[in-house]
Order: sequence, then C-alpha cells, then structure tokens
Amino acid sequence: MPRPGFVLEVDRSTPPILTWHGDGFRLERLPADRSRVIYAPEPEAGLEDPDEAIREALAAPLGDSEPLPALLRAGMRLTIAFDDVSLPLPPMRRPDNRQRVIEAVLDLAAAAGVDDVVLIAALALHRRMTEAELRHALGDRVYDAFAPHGRLLQHDAEDPEGLVHLGVTDHGEDVEISRRAAESDLLVYVNINLVSMDGGHKSVATGLASYRSLRHHHNVRTMRHSRSFMDQHHSELHSANWRMGRLIAASGVKVFQIETTLNNDAFPSQLGFLQKREWEWSGRDRAAYLATTAALRAGSDRLNRSVFQSVKAPYAMTGVFAGEVEAVHAATTEAVFRQQLVPVEGQTDVAVFGLPHICPYNVNSIMNPILVMCMGLGYLFNLYRGRPIVREGGVAILCHPTPWAFHPVHHPSYIDFFEEVLAETTDPLEIEKTYEERFATDEWYRHLYRTGHAYHGVHPFYMWYWGAHALEHLGRVIIVGGDPAAVRRMGFMPASTLDDALEMASDVVGRQPTISHLHCPPILMADVS
Amino acid sequence: MRALQLERSAPRFAAARLASGWRSQAAAQVGPVRLVDVDPLPLPGAGWRRVRPLLAGICGSDLATLDARSSRWFESIVSFPFVPGHEVVGLDDADRRVVVQPVLGCAPRGVEPPCPACAAGRTNHCVHLAAGHLQPGLQTGFCADTGGGWSEELVAHDSQLHPVPAGWSDEAAVLVEPVACAVHGALAGPAGQDLTAVVIGAGTLGLAAVAALARFRPDVSSILAVAKHPHQRQLARKLGAATVAEPAELRRAVRRATGSWILDNGQLTGGAPLVIDCVGSAASLADALAVTAPGGTVVLVGMAGHVGVDLTGLWQREVRLQGAYAYGPEPLADGRHSFDLAFELVEAAGLERLVSARYPLGRYAEAVAHAADAGRRGAVKVVFDPSRRRPEGSR
Amino acid sequence: MIRDRLPRPGEPSGATAPERSLPTTPARLAGAPARLAARLPRPSGFPWTPPTRPATLPVPPAERTLGVHYDTEWARRYPARLARAALTEAVARPAVAALAAPRVEGLDRIEHLHGPVIFAANHASHVDTPLLVHAIPDRWRHHLAVASAADYFFDTRLKAAAFAFLLNAVPIERQRVDRSSARRLSALIEEGWSLLIYPEGGRTPDGWGQPHQRGPAWLAERTGRPIVPIHVSGTRRILPRHATRPRPGHTSVHFGRPLRASDGGARELAARVEAAIAALADEQATDWWSATRRAAAGATPALTGPGDAGAWRRAWVLGEGRRRAGAPARWPKV
Repeated sequence: MPRPGFVLEVDRSTPPILTWHGDGFRLERLPADRSRVIYAPEPEAGLEDPDEAIREALAAPLGDSEPLPALLRAGMRLTIAFDDVSLPLPPMRRPDNRQRVIEAVLDLAAAAGVDDVVLIAALALHRRMTEAELRHALGDRVYDAFAPHGRLLQHDAEDPEGLVHLGVTDHGEDVEISRRAAESDLLVYVNINLVSMDGGHKSVATGLASYRSLRHHHNVRTMRHSRSFMDQHHSELHSANWRMGRLIAASGVKVFQIETTLNNDAFPSQLGFLQKREWEWSGRDRAAYLATTAALRAGSDRLNRSVFQSVKAPYAMTGVFAGEVEAVHAATTEAVFRQQLVPVEGQTDVAVFGLPHICPYNVNSIMNPILVMCMGLGYLFNLYRGRPIVREGGVAILCHPTPWAFHPVHHPSYIDFFEEVLAETTDPLEIEKTYEERFATDEWYRHLYRTGHAYHGVHPFYMWYWGAHALEHLGRVIIVGGDPAAVRRMGFMPASTLDDALEMASDVVGRQPTISHLHCPPILMADVS
Repeated sequence: MRALQLERSAPRFAAARLASGWRSQAAAQVGPVRLVDVDPLPLPGAGWRRVRPLLAGICGSDLATLDARSSRWFESIVSFPFVPGHEVVGLDDADRRVVVQPVLGCAPRGVEPPCPACAAGRTNHCVHLAAGHLQPGLQTGFCADTGGGWSEELVAHDSQLHPVPAGWSDEAAVLVEPVACAVHGALAGPAGQDLTAVVIGAGTLGLAAVAALARFRPDVSSILAVAKHPHQRQLARKLGAATVAEPAELRRAVRRATGSWILDNGQLTGGAPLVIDCVGSAASLADALAVTAPGGTVVLVGMAGHVGVDLTGLWQREVRLQGAYAYGPEPLADGRHSFDLAFELVEAAGLERLVSARYPLGRYAEAVAHAADAGRRGAVKVVFDPSRRRPEGSR
Repeated sequence: MIRDRLPRPGEPSGATAPERSLPTTPARLAGAPARLAARLPRPSGFPWTPPTRPATLPVPPAERTLGVHYDTEWARRYPARLARAALTEAVARPAVAALAAPRVEGLDRIEHLHGPVIFAANHASHVDTPLLVHAIPDRWRHHLAVASAADYFFDTRLKAAAFAFLLNAVPIERQRVDRSSARRLSALIEEGWSLLIYPEGGRTPDGWGQPHQRGPAWLAERTGRPIVPIHVSGTRRILPRHATRPRPGHTSVHFGRPLRASDGGARELAARVEAAIAALADEQATDWWSATRRAAAGATPALTGPGDAGAWRRAWVLGEGRRRAGAPARWPKV
C-alpha cells in the first residue's frame, strides 16, 4: 500500500535532504525547527492490464459521447493528435502510453475500415520531434505504418495553408487550429496527463493552435491571473482554453478525448534513492548515492547531461479515460490529484526548489537559464492548490548550476532573448510590449521552427511569462550554485551554497524565516491551506 | 631633454617580440624603447617651430611597434632612432596650445611642387613620405628629424599645427588626432539610406567611430557596437550605439538587427551594409566579412598587419574592403576636413572622458602596460604627461 | 612539551629543573591504539553513515527480516537451484550413502504421482533431511522445499542464508499457529514446489514420536495436493539430538500410500497421516500383512510410546540407548 504524501518538520535529528541540482543533486541540511520538507506520495500501483483498460475505456466513454467504435465508419476522415516530446518527464520506458492508446484506436479504425487516418504531433510552438522521439512515443509499428506515407505529421503553427480560423470567442480570442484536425470527421486526442495542467480543452485549443490563437492566453496578464495554472478552477489559462474548446466544439469539430495518467515512479531502481525519504535510505541507497555523485563529479557536463537525458522512467499507467473532453478531464484530474496532492498547512517565508535535469522543453537538450527560470518559477512554484507554498514577498531559492549554455538547434531564439532582451529588462510586461512581436514574426526563427527542430521564436517569451506570477509574488529569487553572470542577467541573485542563500534571504524575510523544501521530483502538488 | 627613444636594434626587437607574447609590460622593459637624454633637435627649415608636449597619447600602432608586431611595411617609411607619439597637444614657441596633425606630407617635407594628393589637401595620400629635406617617416612620431610626443620637445611645421580653442582641457585636445582618424573611418563608407552600421572594437577609435557615425552620418539609422568590457559597453551606448553586443554575440546581434538568417557555418544571409573594424585582427576581419551585407563595405580603421582571412565572401558578395588612414577632406561632410570635424565632435560628444590615465615619461613601462591592457583594466586612452617629472600624488 | 618546562608564576624556581623520566608512561602506551584510531580518517556522516531519523516521526516497528519473515525467494531462483542441485548430487548424496546406508522402500506406492506433493515424515535427527532428500525420487528432489523451524534455522542471517541455500529451507512457525507462514507455504506448493515437512514440529527428545500438528494436513486440504507419509528409522543412532558428531549407521526410509483430504477436513487427514506413519513403523518392525491387520483393527502401536510411563521406562522400552553405548567402533583403533 503506497503511503500518501508527507510533510516532515525538520529537527536536529533530520538527515540532510536530497536537493536536485540540475544534472546532479546535493544533500542539504535545513535549519532545524523552522523548516519542513514536502514529500510526494509513493507511487500507486499501475493498471494490471493497461491494454484491456484502454479497450474498456474506448468502448464505454465518459460524458456525452458514443463509444469510439460507433464513431468510426468507412470513408471518414480520422485524425489522431497526440502529446509531443514534452510529456512525460523523464520520458517513460517503452511502451509509451501514447503507443498503447493509439494502437488500440487504430485497431478499432481498422476494424471499421477507416482509410483516411492521419497522426499529428500536437506541438503547438514546440520543436518538431525527431524520428527517434516519434518512434519512442508511438512505437515502431505505428511509425513504420504511417511515417513513410506522409500520414504522420507534426503540427505547424506557421503554415498558412494548414490552419483554419474557426471564429472568435466572446472574450475576443481568435481560435485558429490545424486545418486537418478541424476538417476531420473525428479528432481523437491522446494525452498523457503528467500534471493537472495537462489535458482538457487545452489539448486541442493549445496543442493544435497557431501563434495568433495562442497569444490570447500565453501572455503576462493570463499567467498572472492563473493561481496556479495547475489548478484548473483558478487558472485564467484554462478558462481561456475552455472558451476556445467550447467554440471548437460548437463549430462542429468532433473531439474524442483520451487521457491517461501515470503514477509517480519516475526513476529506475538504480536511482531509487531519488524517491525515498532520506532516513529510510538503505545501505544500498547510500552506496548508490555516493557512487552516482562520484561519477557525476568525474564526468564532464556534456557526459553527465547525456547520461541524465538517457534516464527512462518506469512509469506505470494508473488510469485511462476516454470520451467527451470535460467529463474525461474531470476524471483525469481527480486521478492526478489522488497521486500527487499533499496537504500542506500554511505558507512559509522561504521556499527551496531543487531543479532537476529536465523540464518540458529540454528533452534531449540543454536546460538553459531561461528554462531554469521557467522550471523554478513556472512549474515548481505553481505546483500548488490554494495558495503558493511561499508567502507573498517571500523568497524562492532555486538550486541549479544555471550554465550560460544553449542548445543552438533547439533554442536559437532563446539565445537572442537572453542576449538582447534580458540585457535590457526582465519585466515581463515590458518584454511582452517591446519585443514579443519582433521575435514572433522573425523569418529566421519561423524557418527553423518549420523545417528544423527549433522552438518557435516567441517560445522564450512564454517561458518568461510562465514565471510572471511568481515574479510578482516573490520578494527575491536566489539561485544556489548558478553561474553568476547568467543568474544576474535574469535579475536574480547567485549564491554559492544554500547557507549563503538563506543568509541573503534574511534581509527580505528576517533572521529566522520558515522554510519549505519541495522534494520534487517525483512530482507532487502542495494543497496549501 | 628627456625622450623615449626607439632604436633600430635587432636583438631588442627580437626580445620585445618574445616578451610581448608573455607579458605586456615586459616588452616595454626589454624592448627597443629607452628613456634617454638627448640634445634638442635642430629646426629642419623655415616654418618649423618647437613644441613642448603637454599630453601625448599611446596609440595601438605605438604598442604594435613597441612589441615589434607591426608589419615590415613601415620599415622604409620610418627613420631610426625616432621618438614615438603622434597624438600630441603641446605649447609652441609662442606658448600657444596646439594640436599636432602628425602626417608629414609635401609641405613639411619642403617638396615643391606638392604631389596632387597634398595639393588637394589629402595629405594622408602623399606619395613623398620618403622624400624632401626630412628623413623618411609617415608621421611625426615615426621620423628621426621631427621627434615625437613622448618627449619634452619636438619640432613641427606650421602646416601641422591646429590651435586649441580656449576653455578646452588638455585631455580633450589630445583626443583630437585619434578622433579625426575615427571620423575619417566613419565617413569612409559610401552614403546610403537608413543604414545599419556595425562598429567592431570599443577602444578609443571604436568609441569615437560610434560617436562620429551618430553625429555625421544621418544616413545611418542604427549603430551596433561590439564591446568586450563593461565600461566600453556603457560608453558605446552613451555615445550613440543602439545595440551593444559582446564579440561572441556579434553575428546573432547583427542577424537580429537586420532580420537575416544565420547559415550553419555562421555567415549571415544578409547583414549590415557598413561595418567599421577598429581592431584589425584576423578574427575581427572575419567577423566583419561575415556580417556585411552583399554589396556592403568593410572599413578597416584599426591597423592590420599580416592577417589570414577567407575572402570568398568578399568576392561572392561583392563586399568592399576599404582602408581608412589618417584624415583629409571628407566628401560625405561637404568636404570639411576630418580634423575640423574631430574638434567639433570631441566637444559635442564630450570625448575627453575617454582619457583614463596619465603617466610621466619615467614610468613608461607601466604606462605601456596599462595601455596594452586598457580594456580589461577599465581604461580607454592612456597618455603621457611629459611636462611632469613625478607621479601625480607627489606634486 | 616546551611549555611544560617554563616556570609557572608562583612556582619555586627549583621546579623549573627538567624532571628525569621515561620518554613515555604505561598509561600513555595503553591509550596509544585509541589515539591512533582517532587519527584515522573518519567517514563524514550521512550518506557515509546511516541516516538519523527525524525525531518528529513516530518510531516504526522494527523491520522483521528473520524467523518466519525471512525471504527465501532468492534461494529458489535459477542460479541458487543450479548450485544446490550440483551440491546435492555431488556431495550430499554420496555422503548420505556412506554415512547412513539407507534402505528405501515403498517407492512403488508413489510411482503414479506427479506434480507437487507434501512429504510428511517422522523426525528424529538432523540427518533426516539429507537422507530424505537422498531418498525422494528425482522428479521431486530438485523441486523440493523443506519446512524448517523459523526459530531454530532462521534466527540469524547467516544461518538463514545457509539453510535456505543448502536445503531450500523455508521458515515455518512451529510454536504457535501462524496462518501467514502457512499461506506462504501453500503459495509455494501452488507454484509447483513440493514440500518436505515434519508434522511432529521437531526432533524427538527421547526417541519416541511426538503428537502431530495439523499444519501439513491443512496445507494439503488448502492446496488439494496429496500427502505422502514417510517413516524414517535409524537416524537417531547416527546423530541424536544434542550430539555433535555423527556415527555411521544403517537407516531405512519407507514411503507410504499418498493421502488426500476428504470430507473430514484437516483434522481427520492429520489423524490419518499419523496413523499411516505409525503403520509404516509397524511394517518396518514386523511385516506388511501383520501391520495392515493391526492397523485395520486399530491396534497399531503408537509411535509416541507408552504415554503414562516414567521417563526411564520409555527409554527402556525403546532399548536403543544401550546399543548405542556399546556399539563397537567400525574401524579398528590403531
């Protein structure tokens, strides 16, 4: 029986706490009697027979939807869209949920005699996936059956021919999505709901949308009013997507949503200590920690990065829900919360976030400083329901080496954003007003996004907006172990150790601040009362 | 009279060449320059006067000479032993403050009739650098008969002297000569419309070129300066650069400014039509060629020696590579002389702030080391103060 | 040292003369090992040493990994099985043959049996298990687990590992009813492992049998597998309880007809098993037909011996102690 999440009150007997530090980790001792550590619930058991569960879900959909077999008929246009390489994190061992679900859908489509089937990777403005990544997500059977015939596509948000404008919501938001998806008789969207932000109407309204459509909710105002964007009911990001999703449905696009959930068994057994509580580390765990850290010290950054990027999570599917978007998403969210929610009492003055080696935008890539900001102040900060873990005006301490390094193929516009925009200002509103348009319409970025494996020119702006709520909320941001030049460029303060960082925090929050340490990953969500 | 003199001594040049690779100050110590007591020079002829330098700048070309890094090109247009220093403000016989325009054209050399270039005022194009009643020498500061700024006295021809306006500081005046060079470079490229100009290098020349572009080139709408050090970046911005990039960021910065693409090998598909290279190294020239738009111009203001650079792009994109030496009448400024423009610019842009350190002649080794490391040490222009015998503090 | 020789304020000047003494004292010498140890590099805390436990947490019950909780799974993996089979065939069986010279009878009664079986035998000596492993036919021998007293064989980690490996021993609780250990055994049987179990729950203290416990019958009823009763004799002479050195001797192993649970349940089956082993003993002492008739008449001599007699009389009736004491050495002494 997996144990639920847990909040540890740190005392003098508490061993040092494992703190992620990019491609590595540290053991950090937290001040006794005023610190707490928030641990994720232990992994739930996976479904005994996921394939059977998928078949059952497709045959007995939730909400106002017919079973999938009844929606399939010969001669129809069927489009299957799926989440891109940003999910799940770390990438899961084969077979991926997407492979299982898509194979099940294709089995039914084949039985119904559907010929016109197209698969679309719902990239939004993310980089195109490589062949290896597609094979990993979809499996070789699906890839080999569709890719050679040009029936495996990647969404192109800059293809004027490939997009269709469906209308404007009552809030004046343009809805423009993939033409193929919109003009199909049935659009099946296959999700992996790693966190509660994923899925729902956001799948189609964001994943298959254009820049013109996305900018209505990927902006500073929306992100500042999403508290947090992990909590659908208090998230302006989701409200906008829901409006758009309803407009998409109203304009006749029939969406059959399939969402899957995972447990939080994120690391293979060799790295099992990463998801154990420190005082329960066995001799083997300690040996593994020592060996791993010694190997990481000996390895070059490049080698360590490639080792970490090759980690595959032994995630197990814990649920699969299919049918009408909103009914499905309600069930999924409940399942995600069941695995991730940890009740936490009240806020603290300081929050410590150890940043792992990976975030949604650096799979097989480099975690550049902007992604460090996005991961820390975007994702980890927002892993709350109710109130942020840290009080207003408090201090966030991120732990990450934050190297001044960018992947030249994946993140070309990030380099320019960092060199040009952040050198002038770090204020999200100012950035949005002055620079977004130019980056979004830059021909070269557009070219690289459409033909290479680059994120869209405007993507670094979204990363910065992702942290806008935190920037507004926090009194100071300190990055432990970060490259000083890179950290200062972002307007944060570099510290060499956690003790230094706490010292630096003291002129914002006083000498004896209360501290929360988010022991994440594995992913958890703090339900702060 | 004390002077820093440069002798033709092969072992000393060789030692300097070796030492300069090791430590900048060492070259000045073992190199060909020495502080000597010499007799005052005879006046070469009529129209010549004695000038007692108040301030004399240390220029990049001086440093190259001291380190024995400069090209052998100069061998026949200098005469040993000479006293370096061609950025000079001094007092003449009549105690007037004057700036010396160091180019030794036909007039100072007493060549009659003057060559066509000198006749047209373009003394920098003079063909008689090795003729006349002076020994060879392209400028004051490279000629055995005239002396140079790094001494207590030099001789100069009337045609070389520009009076300093009242109220000017010595620092402002000593910058007129280098600023004139920069003005000449900034006005060397062809005129256009709504140009983006790139200035590579943010030493005295680079910063002055930025200021000159901002003031005298209305056809340049945006200046992108490349600066390595923080104080250089601040100054470049103040002097009119819209964007300041680090050397490693140059290509991306130009790409952003001009909306072109970067190809895989780092060259831009488009680029800036006017690039002013105030460094003159192989790397800066390669950068300059990579970011110049097809049909554009690279102006070489910094003194280049032997550089290895791929000229395929120059050929394929019909890029013009143009030198800019010294000064003359500027067609782009209605024929006004660079020196006049420089006087205007120094005052208007407040360039006297570029003088960062003053040294007495006796501390030449430190001065040279400071100048060689100016950027890193937060300085721009380092000058000698030959009238001063003791360090500032002991006055 | 220098400091010691400096005159201290207020001290008479005579005290400043250096004292003549040995370079060291016995007390110093005695402390030397400790000082040396203090100088050795010390591991610097967690994770080099085990973590301390936050005092804010309740202390968990001690984790039990010994006794019935010892996990013998590893001993049934392929590498352990292979090594055990090699040891059994190459070492244990020749040794048993030499030491115990067993006579095996009644194999024809189990000729038709396949699949997992519960072997239930009387228990007199540690030699019983190797002997039975030797005697049990090939098709069960290498797929056989031995139910062994958790409190005796699994009380230390080393013993537990040794017996789990050598005998494929699995722990069983013999002092009280423990359904979880029984459930583990039945799961084992359902996985296809046969079980050797001693229903008496331990070796005989005095040579007479002890009353049977009901565990084997319960297992048979639960799994639906048959019990094969076995009677072993002669092992007590080789290695009785508390003896430290075995003496070679002759033994016999007698397999009985397999028994299955019927409507009477475990209680009835246990009684039948006990009776069957007693009958086998009778058969061993007399002949099959006499034993069968006595069994039918309910007159089989009980293995537990004269229950109401005094200790000496029980031993006297058994009669074997005298023989053991007077047994001649097999090899002439030189």
